[in-house]
Amino acid sequence: MYIVLSIVSALIGGGMSWIIRLELAEPGIQFIQDPQLYNVMVTAHGLIMVFFVVMPGLIGGFGNWFVPLMIGAPDMAFPRMNNISFWLLAAALCLLVTAGLTGTGPGTGWTFYPPLSNSTFHSGPAVDFGILSLHLAGASSILGAINFITTILNMRAPGMTMHRMPLFVWSMLVTAFLLLLAVPVLAGALTMLLTDRNFGTTFFAPEGGGDPVLWQHLFWFFGHPEVYIMIIPAFGIISQVVSTFSKKPVFGYLGMAYAMVAIGFIGFVVWAHHMYTVGLDVNTRAYFVLATMIIAVPTGIKIFSWLATMWGGSIEFKTPMLFATGFIALFVVGGVTGVVLANAGLDVQLQDTYYVIAHFHYVLSVAAVFALTTGFYYWIGKMSGRQYPETLGKIHFWLTFVGVNVLFFPQHFLGVAGMPRRIPDYPDAFAGWNMISSIGALITALGTLLFLFIVWRTMAAGKAAEPNPWGVGATTLEWSVPSPAPFHTHEELPRVSAQPAE
Amino acid sequence: MDASDRQTRARRGRRITALALVGVVVGMAGLAFASVPLYRLFCQVTGYGGTPRVALDGQAGGADAAGRSITVRFDANVNPALPWRFKPEQNRIQVPLGESALAVYRAENLSDTPITGTATFNVTPNKAAPYFVKVQCFCFDEQRLEAHGGADMPVSFYVDPAIAEDPDTKDVSTITLSYTFFRAAADPSRSAANLSRPAVTTTAGTPNG
Amino acid sequence: MFRNFPSVSALATVALMAACGTAFADQPYPWQIDLQPAASAVAEQVREFNYLISVIIVAISVFVLVLMAYIAWRFNAKRNPVPSKRAHNTVLEVLWTALPVLILVVIAVPSLKLLYVMDRNPAAEMTIKAVGHQWYWSYEYPDHDDFTFDSIMVPDDQLQPGQPRLLAVDNEVVLPIETDVRILVTSDDVIHSWAVPSFGIKTDAVPGRVNETWVRIRREGTYYGQCSELCGVNHGYMPIAVRAVSRQAFDEWTAAAKEKFARADGGGTRVAGRTATTTAR
Repeated sequence: MYIVLSIVSALIGGGMSWIIRLELAEPGIQFIQDPQLYNVMVTAHGLIMVFFVVMPGLIGGFGNWFVPLMIGAPDMAFPRMNNISFWLLAAALCLLVTAGLTGTGPGTGWTFYPPLSNSTFHSGPAVDFGILSLHLAGASSILGAINFITTILNMRAPGMTMHRMPLFVWSMLVTAFLLLLAVPVLAGALTMLLTDRNFGTTFFAPEGGGDPVLWQHLFWFFGHPEVYIMIIPAFGIISQVVSTFSKKPVFGYLGMAYAMVAIGFIGFVVWAHHMYTVGLDVNTRAYFVLATMIIAVPTGIKIFSWLATMWGGSIEFKTPMLFATGFIALFVVGGVTGVVLANAGLDVQLQDTYYVIAHFHYVLSVAAVFALTTGFYYWIGKMSGRQYPETLGKIHFWLTFVGVNVLFFPQHFLGVAGMPRRIPDYPDAFAGWNMISSIGALITALGTLLFLFIVWRTMAAGKAAEPNPWGVGATTLEWSVPSPAPFHTHEELPRVSAQPAE
Repeated sequence: MDASDRQTRARRGRRITALALVGVVVGMAGLAFASVPLYRLFCQVTGYGGTPRVALDGQAGGADAAGRSITVRFDANVNPALPWRFKPEQNRIQVPLGESALAVYRAENLSDTPITGTATFNVTPNKAAPYFVKVQCFCFDEQRLEAHGGADMPVSFYVDPAIAEDPDTKDVSTITLSYTFFRAAADPSRSAANLSRPAVTTTAGTPNG
Repeated sequence: MFRNFPSVSALATVALMAACGTAFADQPYPWQIDLQPAASAVAEQVREFNYLISVIIVAISVFVLVLMAYIAWRFNAKRNPVPSKRAHNTVLEVLWTALPVLILVVIAVPSLKLLYVMDRNPAAEMTIKAVGHQWYWSYEYPDHDDFTFDSIMVPDDQLQPGQPRLLAVDNEVVLPIETDVRILVTSDDVIHSWAVPSFGIKTDAVPGRVNETWVRIRREGTYYGQCSELCGVNHGYMPIAVRAVSRQAFDEWTAAAKEKFARADGGGTRVAGRTATTTAR
């Protein structure tokens, strides 16, 4: 269900991004006559992709399905809470769509910076709807997180010690803790913004002694862990897939697990690197530069451990493995540009330009979505009982891989040249790279259509899946049960003796 | 120990974990709200983000032994929702380090109704803020001006001589003190004024409130 | 057989960077892949740092991607049917933790140096103030009798030949070259950001507070930038244009500007002027 919601949202959000790219294909206003509409699209695209595609897909979808399977639990700890969590999210999506259609819509960007988001500059209920939507989505995430942590801490099968858990489970555990700590802060900040808008409080309004910069601190205290919330489950999936198709255990299992913990932890102390130009003290900026760069170390450990897992392996490039390798490639490119952006001195040039857009689309849009796709191809047999068509899957990979690179790589150049983000029209000098970028969007869109066709083919005419279609490399518990996995699997608790990852 | 007993125990374990996690959530949300006063306090104590210190005892810190001085510039802003004229009486003054000085801003109400305003302020460069000590000022106090009335608003301050010793701030030769006047949040005509904000039209786009 | 697009383009980047290093422009130019040419010492240092870090990141990316391609070729199931079972190598693990740390140190040292250089406060000879509005900038010259003017984008249909679309404004900010200029930035509505890439400046305009930055322009020319913080409907239509002139030309300009932008009440105060423009609109 989460995955269906995620795919539907992806189509909405992706459609919007496609319109944005079409608008930006050439200089001048193409067909979005009202720049406010453009801003609303940008806002909605961001919110939908973050809260309704990547999070439900990776966490809600694969997490809820495979965490209990992998640790040998019959189901999540609180199945009913899980259900509530899903419907909250569905309601949140409806609210967000309502927000987009109300009045002139929320044109604030997904960051909702006041004063632009306050009642003076965005009167009307659109932003209120947006805020409530995030509240619901946040509540849904918190419930989900509680459920995950409880399940993982209390319901492991006998013998499944913490250090024997598959890395995907580790990644979900770290993610759940990040959610638990970060989302309430967003909820608090959103509530304050809501009362600022409607009840005359002045938490973020300078006229009442508030400070708009405080919003940015609170938002990014949530916002930065949020990006790890999106990418850490991806790390988990990639680890499983790389290990399976290399027919080797994960290299440096403990290092991998604790690298995720480290990334999650450091993720909480780097938030102000989103705010280098806001007027922070120079020593503060220096601290955030260093703290941010340190994240590169555990991230590097993960990248090299994946490569070392592949090294000496007997690698079969089935579709999931292709997407996983694609993920690593894209994540490296997005990762090194992250190190560039960490430098406050240089960030002055790049802040709020297309360089940032390129960076986070490489690590989130592309890498996280590649992880989603990896997970889909890897587990679809287990979930539906039917295997996907292999050749079409491979074509899908190459189309998407080429498409996203053509789409996002030129945006680095645009950013360095100084093109600001969130503008519906740009100086003529930026035309060339924008055109190429839009062509990339076209290729990617073709890939997406092919993906829809593959989903339909799999469901309608896919071959029946065996319990374990991947052979000796697939050692985690979910492959020991039939496909599709029956409800309340592991009623009789399996006993785990061999360490799955070593 | 039979199976049902084990199940009850497992369920209780889950419940305890879940409750502890709910506690974490409530704690974090509380922290978000607590951040508002904490942030303000933090800024005042450390001078972070250009918030000048406020002297509690009303005493200057003692003159600088070396007789150095610094330039202080005065800057004024008025939010468009407030029909006031607000200007410093002096563009800048030269102040010996450690000695208290007095500057005056002049505010006039240009409208036909009495209006209450309130001012925020900061000091640039940010790193100089911890050394800029205000002894007395009108900041954050609500100021009411009668229709077409005016008032002088004095600020007295001194610059801590330690500014010349700190390696970070040694290069600072000029400090800018800036005030921005807003219509007070409690002012009854505030919302009406906001609604009538003018919108600028460019040919490229439609104006939008 | 495992071709990687990013690595190819990354290599192309390096080649092109070298080729375009000498190109000259004060605004973005087509197919640009480099920072805008520097017009101040700070921007020059930013550029140099950018080259350093670009070389490092391209090298890292190429290394990882080539390694990946090699692994994909060498340890393909066809070529290597029997997987090894090795899952540990302490030396390797220590190495790939320590090496990135070293690389980061190489980046961090010049990075922090640059940061502190940018934050220096020279004894500025003059001050201007940029105020962000929805959706234009206005400028004040408090050291030159406090005259003030609005700087509004030239609409597409009124562009003169040679004026870049979406960048040209009706009243440019005029600044003298070879002069330390303090720039105060604030806003009177939402958050904007005052950015001129050639100067290495991007400073947020936050209502209720003033931010300070500075520039020393090295050569005459017109420099363009765009508002860099989403500020509402016409965020994309409030460019920044700075014309740098000789000191002498600057004195002439300020004399004329005092007349041109003189206020109706003769007082030359900002608020009166603002009220006048507001009612006129």
